[in-house]
Amino acid sequence: MRPENYQAVSHPPSHEYEVFFGPNHPGIEGNYALKVRLHGDEVTAARADGGYLHRGFEKLMEGRLWIQNIALVPRICVPDPVPMEVCYSLAIEALGGLEVPERAQWIRVMQLELSRIAAHLFTFGGNAATTGMYTPMFWGIADRDLILDLFEELSGGRVYHIYNIPGGVRRDLPEGYLKRVSDTLDYIESRLPDYDNLMFTNQVFVRRATGVGIMTQEQALDWGVTGPNLRATGLPFDVRRDDPYLIYDQLEFDVPVEEAGDAWARTLVRRAELKQSLRILRQVVARLPEIDGPIRAPIPNPLAWNLPLGDVYTRVESSKGELAYYVVSNGGDKPWRVHVRGPSAMHAVQVLEHLVTGARIEDVAQIMFSLDACPPEVDR
Amino acid sequence: MTPTDAPGHDVTTTLDFLLQEVDGLRTRWVAPRRLRVDLPAETLPALLELLKGRAGYVHLSAISCVDWPDDGQFELVYHTWSYELNVLVMAHIRIPRDPGVYLSIYDLYRPAAFFERDIHEMFGLWFEGSPDMGKFILTEWEGPPPMRKEFDGEAWVMEQFGWQEYRPEWLTEIEAKGGGISKRPEQLRGDKGEDGTA
Amino acid sequence: MSDIDYKQRGSLLNPLRSLGFFGRPPVTQPLEPRPASINYRGFHLNDWEKCVGCGTCQKVCDNAAISMVHIPDLPADPAKGVRPERPAIDYGRCCWCGLCVDICPTGALALSREYVHTCVDADLSSYFILPDSHGIHGQPYEKGWAKTADADLISLLREPMPELEPEQRIENFDEIVGGYDPQQALLEASRCVQCGMCHDACPTHMHAPQYIRAIWEGKLEEAVGWIYQTNPFAHICGRVCTRRCETACSIGHRGEPIAIRWLKRYAMDAIPHERVKQIAAAGRCETPSGQRVAIVGAGPAGLTCAFDLAKQGHAVTVFEALSQPGGMTRWGIPEYRLPYDRIDRDIDVIQSLGVEIRCNTRIGSDITLEELHQQYDAVLIALGLQMGRGTRIPGSDHPQVRRAVDLLRQATAGEEFGTPQSAVVIGGGNVAMDIARTLARLQRQRFGTAQVTITALEELSHFLADPVEIKEAHEEGITILPARGPREVVVEDGNLVGLATWRVTSIFDEQGRFSPTYDQEDAQIHTAEMVVEAIGQMSDTGLLGDELTERLAWNRGRLQVDSDGRTSEAWLWAAGDMVRGPDVVSAVADGHRVAASIHAALSAAKEQNP
Repeated sequence: MRPENYQAVSHPPSHEYEVFFGPNHPGIEGNYALKVRLHGDEVTAARADGGYLHRGFEKLMEGRLWIQNIALVPRICVPDPVPMEVCYSLAIEALGGLEVPERAQWIRVMQLELSRIAAHLFTFGGNAATTGMYTPMFWGIADRDLILDLFEELSGGRVYHIYNIPGGVRRDLPEGYLKRVSDTLDYIESRLPDYDNLMFTNQVFVRRATGVGIMTQEQALDWGVTGPNLRATGLPFDVRRDDPYLIYDQLEFDVPVEEAGDAWARTLVRRAELKQSLRILRQVVARLPEIDGPIRAPIPNPLAWNLPLGDVYTRVESSKGELAYYVVSNGGDKPWRVHVRGPSAMHAVQVLEHLVTGARIEDVAQIMFSLDACPPEVDR
Repeated sequence: MTPTDAPGHDVTTTLDFLLQEVDGLRTRWVAPRRLRVDLPAETLPALLELLKGRAGYVHLSAISCVDWPDDGQFELVYHTWSYELNVLVMAHIRIPRDPGVYLSIYDLYRPAAFFERDIHEMFGLWFEGSPDMGKFILTEWEGPPPMRKEFDGEAWVMEQFGWQEYRPEWLTEIEAKGGGISKRPEQLRGDKGEDGTA
Repeated sequence: MSDIDYKQRGSLLNPLRSLGFFGRPPVTQPLEPRPASINYRGFHLNDWEKCVGCGTCQKVCDNAAISMVHIPDLPADPAKGVRPERPAIDYGRCCWCGLCVDICPTGALALSREYVHTCVDADLSSYFILPDSHGIHGQPYEKGWAKTADADLISLLREPMPELEPEQRIENFDEIVGGYDPQQALLEASRCVQCGMCHDACPTHMHAPQYIRAIWEGKLEEAVGWIYQTNPFAHICGRVCTRRCETACSIGHRGEPIAIRWLKRYAMDAIPHERVKQIAAAGRCETPSGQRVAIVGAGPAGLTCAFDLAKQGHAVTVFEALSQPGGMTRWGIPEYRLPYDRIDRDIDVIQSLGVEIRCNTRIGSDITLEELHQQYDAVLIALGLQMGRGTRIPGSDHPQVRRAVDLLRQATAGEEFGTPQSAVVIGGGNVAMDIARTLARLQRQRFGTAQVTITALEELSHFLADPVEIKEAHEEGITILPARGPREVVVEDGNLVGLATWRVTSIFDEQGRFSPTYDQEDAQIHTAEMVVEAIGQMSDTGLLGDELTERLAWNRGRLQVDSDGRTSEAWLWAAGDMVRGPDVVSAVADGHRVAASIHAALSAAKEQNP
């Protein structure tokens, strides 16, 4: 424990309080702290405090072979690990001039969208719980588990899939896999009215989210906000569509936006995105059987693989926003530098501090969760 | 890369034309939608101002820092994105490793505050004019900035933490027969074996 | 904009809709561990029959979770690349990424569908496990994450070697193998997993992992340095080594072994000769010992010994009966496999260290061993196996029945021996292939067509010759007749007209002794103008002289030596093919061994008698 957290400080009696949210899972996905100063029930100042999940991934990656790092990257964002794996692999492929086979690209998109659905379900649950509604959380986690079942069957791991590898993916689909994906999609689709009924038309939630944590589009751009949080201010930008990677340019999907920029708008954007992910997955399930071929480009022996001198900046759209990897090779068998640009780095620090200031204490948790921050992305 | 591989003649032409206004730039299209710019450190603010003001580069995606101790330099890379042109411009500058001081671009881009603070914490660079250079992640760390190449993270870990000594029965049995662990994993890391094999 | 009407507050009866949930099955999870999926990455399974203890899993493990454990009960077979070691996993570190499975060269490792293990602090050692094909709790679990062909991280295929096509080579003695270019060499070197099986299998324990790694790193001088640490016959072994290393190579269990020999050749060819000399001289003792050593026979064993002793400061003189040094590598191996200029280079390196080679000096006639004994502090005989064995079948005393080694020597010397229009070769080893392919070339040069038949006792799969030699002989139009035993040489009117053979029914008797039996019903006559015997060689020990032969200890006709190559006479050592049987790299190894023994004896003598 940090000294300032346990030293008893005696304050003169006043209306000023300091309240700590966190660091033990303060309602967002990982250990993180937000210290707020209160006057009555109004927040007068806020300070984000990270580092509780710092494991030094960027440094660790410099000491490991290009391939070995695939076991590290999914840990940088536990609820949505696939974008981490894909973004890292895309960087290595760009540096090494590897052509990812088409089948592998489709399989990657399938995972990315499954991961997005899982992450959004997780977020819905947590977000609802901030208003005292725990049923969406139980449902969200139970339904997310069905997607984890799919990941387990595909990759052997429920959370840390370690399934993408520079050049493609590590295994082909098991027999009958797409049918089970399709069944799971049917099931999740059938659950959407339940979620609408329970959460998205539930006035308890709607009213607690509306008008809370308002961010204008100008502010969002100013603060470098991306992803659903940016789209909730009316800017229809999505890396998948506007800076396409893999085979996203062959897919049909909309980029949902909301105008209000409040916690409710952010929730609505995620709800709409989940449907778009289902739409994408339907296309993948339909197309993938026609796409034959290898699942991985040939790669050299991982123990003796030098990548040419160079650098690359790859980005993907994760459930939290724009995720980017800046990877530098000095011509060796290990990365010279890997910089992980987690989308949460923007909205979990400056934005959170700003939005919380002036809010009432009962809305702090709602604001934190509606931003969908992923602390390990910040800490790395 | 020929301009035809880039996102469209008009966009590349716009950018190429615009960037002529700044002296001392070297530009290269490294991929469609990826323009690399190398420039002297002192020119960077002018470039960013131009990009932001005239080409819609309102989004600072990241600032990356790379340590090049052999060159005695830090490389700073400013990744900026225009929602109008849909092109990423990566501006590369090099600054001397010692004293490792550069200007903050916080007045142009608010996200710079986070990246500059992070780079200060991890590499020890100082950004003049950055709003907050206080510790964020490494609150209880008193050692050198860990992302610098001279900091050997693995050696530090080895020093700090022990290896678990296991005594399973099977190992005792094998040792009784004259066998035992012939190569520990730590022998592969860092030091080379007696015969020089890694 | 949203597609739901969230502003609608709905009816007071809305909650009643939830009553429908009573009709839905609840979500229940059993308390028992759920069966894991087919790709599950659980605890390890290791098939000990397949595992060779190469330790590649340990190298790819990014968590340093794998220790290699030496298990004395397990079989060790360096020649086949099997080590009595198995990986043990520290489950306190393992992250179950499965890279060890994907890279395992033999395919022995897999992850199972077992995933539950826990213990109290006192049993922490149960986290360190030596997996076998049973589960970690002795309960069998099915495989989960296992090797698949499309996910293999080992590249099983070798970089193809450019070679002359049969039609380009059948009329000349041009070298067949073209050698790797830098890119190919780098790719081939990159396949190596650095397990060191090659090092263990090599008779002279060459540092193959190190020089392969150096080639991959582009440090070719360093590679040459590693090569010269154990082998001064570097060019020669880079071309004609019997490459036991490649037999032992871990990659070879499921794929093509690393082309270790060609990589050595690449490194040697890439460095200028003068630089090679400097590299080879590294570590040379600059102060002369003042002691003198005589070596008889300038073949691989003798010259390797000379190389070592010269580096240690001794004055070495090598006596060679033939006109040029090199031994069997020059006089036995055809130029299309080993160009003479490469032999010259290896020998030049050895000479550059101060080794004196006296050619055309035959022991027994030009100088006697006894004289060498008098003039030198130590004497090594490395005579090689220069005399061909005969079949002693009827008619084999005919002048047109020749011995392969004699013909090969004459071919090297450029002597005319009367190339026949057709020939039959008896034997299935490399020498038989060499003479057959040499004769075919000479025939094509002279007559425009070739007719050579090889007959051997063995079935084709049991031929002693390198399979590559057999393949190339086929390509060059040579007829190979396996399982044919020579019956007699057919002579009509004093002229040799062919060889009569029987079909072989068995080669060894029940005790495993050589005792071929034939099916006499199945007899054939292969017409030919010449019969060549290539059934083995022996050493010309006659030159030792009767008196010395009498004094020396013998073992079944072979000179008896101790493990260091010293004979029963304290001043005399023997090495090479005459002791070990025919093989270049074994002769090199023997040369080192005997050099160490001689150096030790000389040093001891010097200490006693300064």
